[in-house]
Amino acid sequence: MIPIPRPGTPERQRLIDTHWRCIQSMKGVAGCAILECATPGDTTDVGGGIYDDPLLRQVLFRMRAQPPAGKLVVICTKPDREWRIGRLSGIRGVPPSFVDERVFEDEQEVQHAIFLMRLDELPESDGMPEHFHEGWKRGAYNWT
Amino acid sequence: MPAMRLTGYADKFSVHPGEPISFFVNCDGPRTYRAEIVELVNGDTNPRGPGFIERHVPSDIEGEYPGRPQVIHSGSYGWVADCPQLDLQSFTLQCWIWPTAPKTHERYWKHGPQAIIGQWSRGRGYGLFIDVDGHLELRVDDQVVTAPMPLRDRAWHFVAASFDAATGRAVLHHEPQVVYALDPVAEPVEAQLRPGLTHAAAPFVIAGYPAEAMPGDRQHPSGFRIAGNYNGKIDGPRLCNRALSRLEIEMMKAGADRGLTERTHAGPTNALARCLVASWDFGQGIDTLIGHDRGPYRLDLTLVNCPTRAMTGHNWRGENFDWKHAKDEYGAIHFHDDDVDDARWEVDFTWTVPEGTRSRAYAVKLTTAEGDEDYLPFWVVAKLGTTSAKIGVMIPTISYLAYANEHMATNGAGAELIMYRVPIMQDQNMFLAEHREYGSSQYDVHTDGSGVSFSSRLRPILNMRPKYDTFVAQAPWQYNADLHLIYWLDRMGYEYEVFTDEDVTYEGLARLQRYNVVLTGSHPEHNSGPQIDALHDYTQAGGRLMYLGGDGWYWVQTYHPAYDHLGRGVITELRRCESGIRPWFADPGEYYHQSTGELGGMWRFRGRMLHAVAGAGMAAQGFDVGTYYTRTPDSTNPRIAWAFEGIGPDEKLGNFGLCGGGAAGLEVDIVDTMLGSPPHTLTVATSAGRHTEAYLLVGEYYGTSQPGIDGTQHPRVRSDLAYHETPNGGACFAFSSIAYCGALPWNNGDNNISKLTKNVLDRFMQDGPLPPPPPESIKPRGRADYDPNAMIP
Repeated sequence: MIPIPRPGTPERQRLIDTHWRCIQSMKGVAGCAILECATPGDTTDVGGGIYDDPLLRQVLFRMRAQPPAGKLVVICTKPDREWRIGRLSGIRGVPPSFVDERVFEDEQEVQHAIFLMRLDELPESDGMPEHFHEGWKRGAYNWT
Repeated sequence: MPAMRLTGYADKFSVHPGEPISFFVNCDGPRTYRAEIVELVNGDTNPRGPGFIERHVPSDIEGEYPGRPQVIHSGSYGWVADCPQLDLQSFTLQCWIWPTAPKTHERYWKHGPQAIIGQWSRGRGYGLFIDVDGHLELRVDDQVVTAPMPLRDRAWHFVAASFDAATGRAVLHHEPQVVYALDPVAEPVEAQLRPGLTHAAAPFVIAGYPAEAMPGDRQHPSGFRIAGNYNGKIDGPRLCNRALSRLEIEMMKAGADRGLTERTHAGPTNALARCLVASWDFGQGIDTLIGHDRGPYRLDLTLVNCPTRAMTGHNWRGENFDWKHAKDEYGAIHFHDDDVDDARWEVDFTWTVPEGTRSRAYAVKLTTAEGDEDYLPFWVVAKLGTTSAKIGVMIPTISYLAYANEHMATNGAGAELIMYRVPIMQDQNMFLAEHREYGSSQYDVHTDGSGVSFSSRLRPILNMRPKYDTFVAQAPWQYNADLHLIYWLDRMGYEYEVFTDEDVTYEGLARLQRYNVVLTGSHPEHNSGPQIDALHDYTQAGGRLMYLGGDGWYWVQTYHPAYDHLGRGVITELRRCESGIRPWFADPGEYYHQSTGELGGMWRFRGRMLHAVAGAGMAAQGFDVGTYYTRTPDSTNPRIAWAFEGIGPDEKLGNFGLCGGGAAGLEVDIVDTMLGSPPHTLTVATSAGRHTEAYLLVGEYYGTSQPGIDGTQHPRVRSDLAYHETPNGGACFAFSSIAYCGALPWNNGDNNISKLTKNVLDRFMQDGPLPPPPPESIKPRGRADYDPNAMIP
């Protein structure tokens, strides 16, 4: 299991910097990858990002695979103009709630803001034996 | 965040000129709303595209209407009207249950007691319930007897309750059919209640109970609001008019059995026949909305909101997998508290489409002075027998239904892994996350965690809207993505018609043969059998097919015949069987559709290869960003070289677009002669080697968990543009990517993807057979003639 890099470590800052560069380059793309567009907003030539930094890839997988309760999502509040950060309830029928007052004016930048929040929220040893709890006994498909 | 206060739907997807189409509107708050007809041309608001385009269509429905809230009463149940035989004093109720959510979170949307079966309402009558803590409960008037231990979820239990009105003695049996070593023994509970029983004067209901009396309108067919929706299976209910002993209850499991030689009585024995009130057998009439009673009084239940049938019963042995041949093992119905077959709203207005109205994508546009807005899409489809355009666009409405009101971003947190980024939700997703009564898509699980097999078009479908981006693509998808094609046809000045999956399913080849060329939408993934038959009949007879999407012809869908009286294709059914990209898995033994008895799952595993329909089939999917195509040597073959006129040999084809930023993307198809691509198929361009690692080979392509299946490593993770001729001057061109249509509007339609598409369409739309291929191209070809090792020295 890949440990989540601790605050203040060079690895963590490297991931943050790389993620930010990718996000900046993806502005204008109708989609998003944690890769850098050689020409910003143009997918003809993409690379770097998770291709060059396996730790970034693995940390992102760990974040994406978290169970639904409390998971961060983007909520578009005005199409093409405004986005905010929400948190899933994990309970069917209970909608996500906003986590703060921040309003983002770019749909890619909010991805980066969530990446930073998740780095702070995920314990270094998440998913390792010392985190075992009874919930591990119950299987679930990824999509449910 | 503003709630969605304005929603609605139409009674049809497809309407002919001269015919009426009715609209149902929920306007929850504003005093009035305005309605008008618009033609929808482009629904994508992305600033890098042509922008939103609608055209006002003058009509006699245009105007201001009084607003009123309309709500959906979801949750499936069965009911039968009160009658003298149900007016009991003593009774015994028994059935098997397989509860899926006996205990729910206190914030769960329908947290509370669940009613299994009975005639109990407002403190009168009798019924079996599950209490809020998950315990079986008997209600006799206002008295309650509770089993000491909770029910286990997703496990069969035999449950029974008897009550003797003369003595007041009640017995409650809760008998788990699977008992583990450390389970407590489930003893029957005996209780002394008041003698006598009050008649509830309400319908007898299963999977819910009648709460308040209501007008017997379409929303409340039983004349009552049904509360206490139950989640789970019910099998073999029996009702008797006296308190049976445990031995008699055991005998009564056999129910009404007229199979004995003499056929003298309705019950398992002559004595028990005398007390039998009803003996329901849900293995009968599986394709209907009737819960059959084999007892003496024919107390058939009417099923509401389309619960799932053809479900394995308590006695399923794992030997028969097709309910048609083992109905006695398929006696279970699975009820869900979020099932919805029809919103059953009141009509707000009806438009009779004027004769001469062009066949196009339309919508009723609803607005309020307070800024609310919604669009209710429909398509005007030409009648058979009228003069037609040369181009027909097949709107993939079954696929729209499959994705209708999907909850993947909230339910399926793991979907983020597949999308390779954090999901972006919109108002529609937020509303649906709260309003589960709007029903789910076939990509979701029900609120009880079981897969959703049915999708109805008689409800607001909030993601089948212009201006809507799905989190899956961070761009338009399905309906709104197909408007990219509509925009392009409009921009290029083509005369065309539209028709829907319903039209071709019900009319077959007669619908398709109107056109010289048929165009698909961007993702015709879900198809009926008659539709695929018609497509084959069409291309074999000289028709031309432009498959302008990806991941088509994948899933078996059937329309439920019990809803035919409400129109074509009201409810479609899907079972996610043993293969394919599945957000949920059908349980063992539950692969056969209740609608038609067909085996569900992928068409491929019914022997109908997806690659055979248009030449290419699903190979991989990825949702981060797309890429472009380059030409292959096949593109210079005189059989197809005409398609590349005006396109340079080394051009990057489609390194732009409004879906993923590239024409090759999202879900992508390849040529595979071993899986149905005709051996004479030309692969004229490919995106091989350019996809990101988010693109993963579909599971059908490998039998063992294996690494190296992503776009940076696996040679089959690609999209192939493919062409082949069909007999009698017909042809197919597969564009093989969901994102392809998203590239058409780029630069207002002035781009090389547009050029290629135009070259193909101009040729395919011509009258008469296409020019014959060069004589030297006629030669025998084997499926395996192509050598994957050819390039290896």
